[in-house]
Amino acid sequence: MNDDQSLLTDAAGRLFGDLALRREEDFTTLWTLVEEAGFPLLLVPEADGGFGGRWRDAFAVLRLAGYHALPLPLGEAILAAWLLNRCNLAQVEGLTTIAPRVEGVFVEGRFTGSVAGVPWGQEAANIVALLNGTLIVLSCGDSVSIEPHENPAAEARDTLHFERALAPNAPCGIDLTALGALIRTAQIAGAMDAALAQSIAYANERVQFGKPIGKFQTLQHNLAVFAEEAAAVNCAGQAAFAAADKYDGVAGFEIAAAKLRANMAVGVGTSTAHQVHGAIGFTREYSLHTLTRRLWSWRSEFGNDRLWSQRLGDQVIAAGAAAFWANLTERSDA
Amino acid sequence: MSSSTQISAPQSMRTFRVLPFTPPPGASGLRQQVRAFLADNMPPTDAPYRANSWTVGDREFSRKLGQAGYIAMIWPKQYGGHERHPLERYIVLEELLAAGAPVGMHWIADRQSGPLILRFGTEKQRMMFLPRIAAGELFGCIGMSEPGSGSDLASVRTRAIRDGDGWRVSGQKVWTTNAHNAGLMIALLRTGEPGGRQEGLTQFLIDLTAPGVTVRPIIDLAGGHDFNEVFFDDLFIPDDMRVGAEGDGWKQVTAELSLERSGPERYMSCFALFLEMVRRAGPTPDAAMTALIGRLSAEMWTLRHMSMSTAAQLAAGNDPTLEAAIVKDLGNSFEQELPRLVQAAADADLDLSSNEDLARLLALLLQISPSFSLRGGTREILRGIIARSLGLR
Repeated sequence: MNDDQSLLTDAAGRLFGDLALRREEDFTTLWTLVEEAGFPLLLVPEADGGFGGRWRDAFAVLRLAGYHALPLPLGEAILAAWLLNRCNLAQVEGLTTIAPRVEGVFVEGRFTGSVAGVPWGQEAANIVALLNGTLIVLSCGDSVSIEPHENPAAEARDTLHFERALAPNAPCGIDLTALGALIRTAQIAGAMDAALAQSIAYANERVQFGKPIGKFQTLQHNLAVFAEEAAAVNCAGQAAFAAADKYDGVAGFEIAAAKLRANMAVGVGTSTAHQVHGAIGFTREYSLHTLTRRLWSWRSEFGNDRLWSQRLGDQVIAAGAAAFWANLTERSDA
Repeated sequence: MSSSTQISAPQSMRTFRVLPFTPPPGASGLRQQVRAFLADNMPPTDAPYRANSWTVGDREFSRKLGQAGYIAMIWPKQYGGHERHPLERYIVLEELLAAGAPVGMHWIADRQSGPLILRFGTEKQRMMFLPRIAAGELFGCIGMSEPGSGSDLASVRTRAIRDGDGWRVSGQKVWTTNAHNAGLMIALLRTGEPGGRQEGLTQFLIDLTAPGVTVRPIIDLAGGHDFNEVFFDDLFIPDDMRVGAEGDGWKQVTAELSLERSGPERYMSCFALFLEMVRRAGPTPDAAMTALIGRLSAEMWTLRHMSMSTAAQLAAGNDPTLEAAIVKDLGNSFEQELPRLVQAAADADLDLSSNEDLARLLALLLQISPSFSLRGGTREILRGIIARSLGLR
């Protein structure tokens, strides 16, 4: 980690930690603080008025967002701003989120159809969507109706309907599902580390049978396995973001592998965290669920295990056994 | 504690520190050199010998590797080494393992015995052993376990008792991999009071051809011969074959173990089986096979980055005891599960008694994979080390 990155993570850690204490306050108040700090423009070059960060800086920031269970679409906004910049479209005013699913037609610069699963679509000003290789920028004010939905962590995942909505657009060869998976991987890495830290703190404090439960070997070994899984997600996440830097966002192999590995770790992490905490961890009052409910949700978002294992398997099979090792090493060398 | 709260990690908690692996200059050229070397020099091997190949020994091949400069890569030239970067060595190791090359004869000496002598040995010891190890002519083994001391290594009982300008040893080591091929053992012996623990242990270099040493094979469940019993009957060890100060053995052994635990051999033991499964799957496997190949690729890719990150820590002079324990436990779980998953997903008519490569690789690895989480520190010991770093012990 270089000095720039530690300044960035110090600032992000302080702000997100504060916001975690204020999570019951209204969305706009919280979002404004993040926006004013400049985080949404993290990946926009300095020459274009952004922060000029690299994908690996985005990993560090979004990992902290996951660690503090930040109730805001920061990853989505960072990604939207990057996509606009990369496709030579102007940045737009207000919160810009992304559309995980799009159905409809885009003719003569106008979009008719629906976008679904949109993080905070109701609160956002704009939505970036990708339809048949065209990036379109929808203004939420143009929607004819909005259906509010929530994922299991109570994060807004809305559906918006549009009719002949005028939308700035540009050709775009980027896989939006993959980039969405990339940001979720960083958030999962952070949430896994936080759930691990919370479980260890609890195991050292909770006394049963005359000693802290963390002194029992069974718990120690279960928590050790949890730590291994958290380490795997963090390492995979960092490697995938480094590949995104190297391949300018198009890192199909690494992103598929990292999101799949992160998804696989979620089961172990959430079940061990809850088992260690016992009944208190199962309550609304105690904070563990702000992490575990997000982990369960993020595992499905932007590709579950089935999707990524199929895509990754297809890539490996298409290249053939004889090329497997050469491909793997070539992508990490140089 | 309300749901609006801030997570703060316990002060004493340490977790895996990720250090990016920056490939050394010329990394891909080095890979091509190793691949070319293998194309010319790798002995024709039957499929099962490409599995777990860091325990498959071939004297002639090790000698060729030594001549080519692929042993002792990072040691000083004055001891026969090649003064290469530690990450160049990492690249060579993973290339050899990926090809299933038989590197078992010199693996332990290159990984552990040599570095230990280099770090703690005397000048005389270095000159005496290191050039021969580097040349692929002298092989090593590790004398740690005893009949009563496996995971509880600090309970080692075999005593070295002062006798003039040396030591007298009677006792026994067991599960000693490669002792039947090795000329040199680094033994952990008790020089303190009987019944002591960590504090009374010292390491010695033992010439396995000396009078008073007897090596007897132990045949494993699959019929293989990797490990041995080694008996010492009134063996004399000159004092100049002591490594480090009297009583420093435990400290030295602990340092040695992080070198042992994080290498690519900790997740690649079944790589040949994975490749054969992908080959057999062909261009259009069913969805279940495709998903399995995807899943195993994701795990392997992740483990490779974890192992490389730990190699980068070692190269930077850090102490990655925790990271090495995590790589080994996670890597062993992966390589141990791989044969079971392949068996479950293979064609329904795959016959384990057939002569097909897939069947023979699978049959061997199903049988030997239990050893993966025993050798070099059991799963339970590793999880204890991890729990200590987490602040639970």
